Amino acid sequence: MRAFTGWMASLLLVPALAWPLHAWAEALTDVGEIVDRANRAAYYQGDDGRSEVRMVIRDGQGREQLRQFTILRKDVTDGGDQHFYVAFSRPADVRNTVFMVAKHVDRDDDRWLYLPGLDLVKRISAGDKRTSFVGSHFFYEDVSGRNPAEDQFELLETTETHYRLKAVPNSPQSVEFDHYLLWIDRNTMLPTRIDYVDGKGETYRRVEALEVSDVQGYPTVIRSRVSDLRGGGQTTMEFGFMKYNIGLTDDVFSERSLRTPPREWLRRPE
Amino acid sequence: MRKLLPLLMLTALPVMAAETDSGSAPADTAWGDDPWGGDPWSEASTGPRLHGFYELGLGGRLQDDPALPDDKTLAEVRARLEWAGDSAGLHYSLQGDLYADGVEAGPSIDLREALVQFTPLASVDVQAGQQVLTWGTGDMLFLNDLFPKDWKSFFAGRDEVYLKAPAPSIKVSYYGDAANLDLVWTPLFTPDRYIDGERFSYFSPMVGHAVAAPAYRLDADEPDRFPQDGEFAARLFGRVGGTEWALYAYHGFWKQPMGVDAGGSPVFPALQVYGGSVRGTLAGGIANAEMAWYHGDDRDGDDPRTPNDQLRALLGYEHEIVPRLTGAVQYYVEWIQDYAALERSDPAAYRPDELRQVVTLRLTSKLMRDNLTLSWFNYWSPTDQDYYMRPSVSYRLDDQWTLSGGANLFGGDAPHTFFGQFEDASNVWLRLRYGF
Repeated sequence: MRAFTGWMASLLLVPALAWPLHAWAEALTDVGEIVDRANRAAYYQGDDGRSEVRMVIRDGQGREQLRQFTILRKDVTDGGDQHFYVAFSRPADVRNTVFMVAKHVDRDDDRWLYLPGLDLVKRISAGDKRTSFVGSHFFYEDVSGRNPAEDQFELLETTETHYRLKAVPNSPQSVEFDHYLLWIDRNTMLPTRIDYVDGKGETYRRVEALEVSDVQGYPTVIRSRVSDLRGGGQTTMEFGFMKYNIGLTDDVFSERSLRTPPREWLRRPE
Repeated sequence: MRKLLPLLMLTALPVMAAETDSGSAPADTAWGDDPWGGDPWSEASTGPRLHGFYELGLGGRLQDDPALPDDKTLAEVRARLEWAGDSAGLHYSLQGDLYADGVEAGPSIDLREALVQFTPLASVDVQAGQQVLTWGTGDMLFLNDLFPKDWKSFFAGRDEVYLKAPAPSIKVSYYGDAANLDLVWTPLFTPDRYIDGERFSYFSPMVGHAVAAPAYRLDADEPDRFPQDGEFAARLFGRVGGTEWALYAYHGFWKQPMGVDAGGSPVFPALQVYGGSVRGTLAGGIANAEMAWYHGDDRDGDDPRTPNDQLRALLGYEHEIVPRLTGAVQYYVEWIQDYAALERSDPAAYRPDELRQVVTLRLTSKLMRDNLTLSWFNYWSPTDQDYYMRPSVSYRLDDQWTLSGGANLFGGDAPHTFFGQFEDASNVWLRLRYGF
């Protein structure tokens, strides 16, 4: 059974399938196919991409923090392994920090953090994926993606506009949710909402696509939000200066780039 | 006062910079309806940029040190300024600290970085100037990393980045398909900022107890002939799948005055180091192994004034224990070679063990969406029967302000062992930082 959740990357970088194609399409009935298409739409459109990202983190008391970074992505194989390179520019205490992920479908991801003050290339263990990504309500896994094979999916409902799916984790002890519900836009195959539900049946975390825009012919989520429905906090994420198929090479995702940023790729395109 | 003046001048700078930088709303307000037009978050990625922080740090001893009258171990106001930019294919970066130090009349300016970086060939990077360099796989244990450390800052509770001291070096990196090569030349030998009796006392085997400045200020002459007294470090490294491997070589000197010359003065004996390391994922965690062969001038091991050769080895493993709590352990050993010769030449009282073993434990818990970090790190040596514990708490009040506190706790059964000698240095510290 194919599955996926870390589809936040869809909200991050990757455009969905060209939308007119699906506008008049027959409703899909095979949940495996829906998940697979959504997964590819979410993660694997184009060969690579670049985006600037910024987040407003608002806690339960209304206090705000900001984050800004540039993200580079490259697919190794379509629907398979991927590289992510994330370079932070704000705030001051994470500026010039680099986070790099070699995402693997068949084994643990390789993850690195570069701490510029120490010139230290640090490996991060694979376990703590579902913890805060740089202080936001997004998780590391939301950024680099959750392995589709980690959940079992069920098609609950097909509405005029959406497929509604339920996902149950294969190893419940490795995640904080009992299951999650997923709304996938039938036009774009982009997930537009995901509700995480705990063991008591309470929805405590919601991810939403707030704004979808056309980028190089692909519908792309350019604003999204994670809400902590228990604590009242939320993080809104925005994408700017997005560009796909920029011709990133494999060597961009190496220790060289951790220590010496690939400035020609990080630079905002003309 | 002489020291405070530049500090005060500096404090005015970022304010001016902030005004000219963006000319709009401060960064602590969220963007409005026009997200990418004109607000500070859309700052252009070109042109020089000024950043840094101000920090107040206070720390004090938990007990009296008979050798040192001062109970303060940290008392400083610090301003860090960072300025970087790109011009004509060249990246330049300048980072410096100005600080008023209430404990030591030490340097009030510390140039952390003053370098240029360029790519003369597609596969070659050059980084030249004052810089901090790090390699190797140890966590707070260094085998093949012979770049200078600042143990005084480490012991006093300054930010962990200050454990690595800068040096004026030229680093040339070649990136190939199968392997990469780093060559680092430091034309002038740059030692560790070692415990010299200022701020913290140290054990003197000649006197038989802990001593301190001014009478026992440890001030060794650094090898300074050019170019033969420079340092040369190399690393050949690569990655196979998710496993990183590296081979290392170093030609230079012990980074602390580990030797004594014929006249009884401390010296930095010559040293060559050869080693290797691997690091990769293992059972959902990160495993690492590293070895280093320390080869000095005392070939037969019978000269008590010069360190014997050593074999150093490290095994480490890090794994998430529960969500938001990560644990890491390391086992480290220093094996003194030709120990029988050392036994004959060095009186038993303060002679190090043939095998010095150290176990480290690190626990890190990030709570409140990373705004609160609880950290525990300790060294414990079953052979020296001593320890060094480093608990700390750090709280991010917002994107600018961070408050942190912690302790450096030393202890041991004997007064002369590696960590045990610093028992009277045990201290608590508090730091407040404003970043911009």
